[in-house]
Amino acid sequence: MSGDGGQIAVPMTPSVSGNLRPLRMPKISRSFLLSSLSIAILLGAWMLVTEMGWANELFLPKPQAVWAAFVKTLTKGYQGSTLLEHVGASLYRVLVSFALACLVGIPLGVLMGVSRDARALLNPLIEFYRPLPPLGLYTLLVMWLGIGEASKLSLLFLAGLPGIVISTIQAVSSIDPVYVRAARTLGATRRALIFEIYLPAAGPQILSGMRLSLGFIYTVLVAAEIVAASAGIGWMIWDAAKFLLSDIVIMGLIVLGLTGVALDFTMRLIGRLLMPWTQLSR
Amino acid sequence: MLKWIASLAAVTIALTTLAYGADKPDKITIGYLNLVNAQLVTKHLGLIAKEMPGVDIKYVKIGGGGDMLRAIAGNDVDFGGLGNPPAAIGVTRGLPIKGIMVINMLDTVEAMVVRTSANIKSLRDLKGKTVAAPFGSTTHYLLLQALKDDGVDPASIKILDLAPSDIAAAWLRGDLDAAWFWEPNLDKAVKNDGHIFMTSGMMGKRGYPTWDIGVVMNAFAAKYPDYVEKFVKAECDGIDFWLNNPAKTAEIIAEELTLPLADATRMMNGTAMVPCDRQLTAQYLGTSSAKGQFVDTLVATADFLVGQDRLPKLLPRDNFDAFVTPSYIEKAVGK
Repeated sequence: MSGDGGQIAVPMTPSVSGNLRPLRMPKISRSFLLSSLSIAILLGAWMLVTEMGWANELFLPKPQAVWAAFVKTLTKGYQGSTLLEHVGASLYRVLVSFALACLVGIPLGVLMGVSRDARALLNPLIEFYRPLPPLGLYTLLVMWLGIGEASKLSLLFLAGLPGIVISTIQAVSSIDPVYVRAARTLGATRRALIFEIYLPAAGPQILSGMRLSLGFIYTVLVAAEIVAASAGIGWMIWDAAKFLLSDIVIMGLIVLGLTGVALDFTMRLIGRLLMPWTQLSR
Repeated sequence: MLKWIASLAAVTIALTTLAYGADKPDKITIGYLNLVNAQLVTKHLGLIAKEMPGVDIKYVKIGGGGDMLRAIAGNDVDFGGLGNPPAAIGVTRGLPIKGIMVINMLDTVEAMVVRTSANIKSLRDLKGKTVAAPFGSTTHYLLLQALKDDGVDPASIKILDLAPSDIAAAWLRGDLDAAWFWEPNLDKAVKNDGHIFMTSGMMGKRGYPTWDIGVVMNAFAAKYPDYVEKFVKAECDGIDFWLNNPAKTAEIIAEELTLPLADATRMMNGTAMVPCDRQLTAQYLGTSSAKGQFVDTLVATADFLVGQDRLPKLLPRDNFDAFVTPSYIEKAVGK
């Protein structure tokens, strides 16, 4: 049925590549339609429930109210910062800590992947700290580093680090030893081995580790902004909840979700640009 | 005939469940604020259990007004306590609660402490400094109100939202220059390079009284009105005990909060307890037919919060009037 729809559209664009396009077009629009459908159903159910008065407006405000909160926060701001400033403050925290996690995590992972001694030395630490819930660490971090940005950034950094380290170790240690031996026979130095063999071969898997870790950092964001922040999308949600402003809370959650999707999309885009040969971009 | 029997049976079942339901709750949950007042005495002496034999009584300590609002919105407590700003928020947002008694009037038990070495002589000196208060609480409200009175722009100060225990920790690290919060944590800041700059009692004299009001969930009150009265009676006994036995009360507070006796005594003197019969005067709840000044304070607080963009709109006075419910105290003191 959807195949018909696609074929109707074809004659309008006479293409050289022949029967490839009509096959692909309906596939995209079909999944796009289905995705739109699920969003429409969710939105419809939300409107129905609120319009019929089945839900207490305190807990589930109307979509219009959430939209109004969005427009107001975008233009007039919430408690001194506009929505973009809140998103900016959060993105700053996420990206700085993510960059730090990559800067520390990738070399550490390569080192542990290449050297058995390094792995033996560092493994107990990583294995112990990896399953620790980051929030458990937060109280300690606040005591050590205070209530400013340092403790927030370190919490996010610590949340993101293990993912990168572990996937880098796996990526490096799963490289086919034939490549390494071949390079060695050709007289490659240790330095050349790392930059010419290990990193390019392990790249895709490292990148997927980075994606995971960015996602993990993002999930800890709200918690990091609960203590003594005065801007940030997580703080805005937390603060609005104190005043029972559920329209702001829901609006903040939607923005938080969309920003997360955008971040992940950007990561995939970067992956596609940096490593066009990889399968990761799919 | 058969139909008649069936309906009779249904009515009987309905009546018995109703009777049982109205009779006695299995369990009540009391959310109490982590501050110094007679609720600690009531709890320590088990006065509520005495009024309600056979009922399982659960106490939950709640850090501040914001958390209490969430607990109420989530239906996690039967009884709670709210300062006037969270109460104004709760009423405006339509939480199903009634204010049934005055828990305490806030005096020096809540205060703004400033770092002595930061050399703060007036509120203007706070410009560029870091100040903390639990957002949504009485002290946050008073801080903004005091700044407004002195014409200081809050945006020129870094105002942070921290829970009282976190304020104490951050203060010890030296992260804060000033904070407006309450005992028992306030004392930790005062003892570490801090001194009291202004108290909530001083703001009360300026026309911004702050207090905590005991609240009950509407559903509980509708189902077990007798038990609301019993609760009020027990708390009234606690207040009477506080007023009549200050030495013993200080010992109880010292024990409940693990404090030296001298500190407990000082904190005790910073809170004013209002005997239940006086709560029915115009200065407090008033009577069911003529509500007292608490309604005025709630309206003024809500109005202020609307100005701060913390509340969407100011509700008519009737809503606040309906929230203040002296009828249980009236019954408890026999008026």
